[in-house]
Amino acid sequence: MARSLKKGPFCEPKLILKVEKRNRSGDKSPIKTWSRRSMVLPEFVNHTFAVHNGKTFTSVFITENMVGHKLGEFSPTRIFRKHGVHTDKAVGLKK
Amino acid sequence: MPRIMGIDIPGKKRVEYSLRYIYGIGPGRAREIVGKANIDKGKTADDLSGEELTRLTQVLQDGYVLEGDLRREVAQNIRRLISISSYRGGRHRKGLPVRGQRTHTNGRTRKGPRRTVGAVRGKEARSVAKAE
Repeated sequence: MARSLKKGPFCEPKLILKVEKRNRSGDKSPIKTWSRRSMVLPEFVNHTFAVHNGKTFTSVFITENMVGHKLGEFSPTRIFRKHGVHTDKAVGLKK
Repeated sequence: MPRIMGIDIPGKKRVEYSLRYIYGIGPGRAREIVGKANIDKGKTADDLSGEELTRLTQVLQDGYVLEGDLRREVAQNIRRLISISSYRGGRHRKGLPVRGQRTHTNGRTRKGPRRTVGAVRGKEARSVAKAE
């Protein structure tokens, strides 16, 4: 279900402050954040975020197209390696 | 078989039902359109007069994105999701369910017919799989 329009987009207040600070000083360094639930606001465009994925920080450069999505959408939390290849190690364990 | 907006040729049914053969029109919209165009509900598509057809076409052109345009719009939205490398874009690229459904079982609409995957048994096959 979509969020009520009455409330407006959600974004971590601290994150907005950080972006504003950077906008004033023209600083382009990445913003480290754990707030995957924050929505990408128009002011975020052309900034780089380091979004936590539970383990490391993925660097995400915000473009105009990304506005309206959540930061977490750009920092995948799962890595798909490969489906069950029977390695020597795995086979040995079964015996 | 009347033609509406160039390509579509709905059949020998009542207008409300034949309209649904157009991509982008379902039950709800079909009913809405018939009302807007002021067409007798009981009439079949074949019985429509030329004037009624123009009225219908007018309504369709003014208020709705249909057929090719709609398909293009949908494809564009998907392309956008992929280009910004969002989670949903990735799911589209991999042909997996996009909205958080389980994939352990089900999801066959997106995944297509079952294919056995993994479990490489033979010794030679294993070394090949590893090399990849």
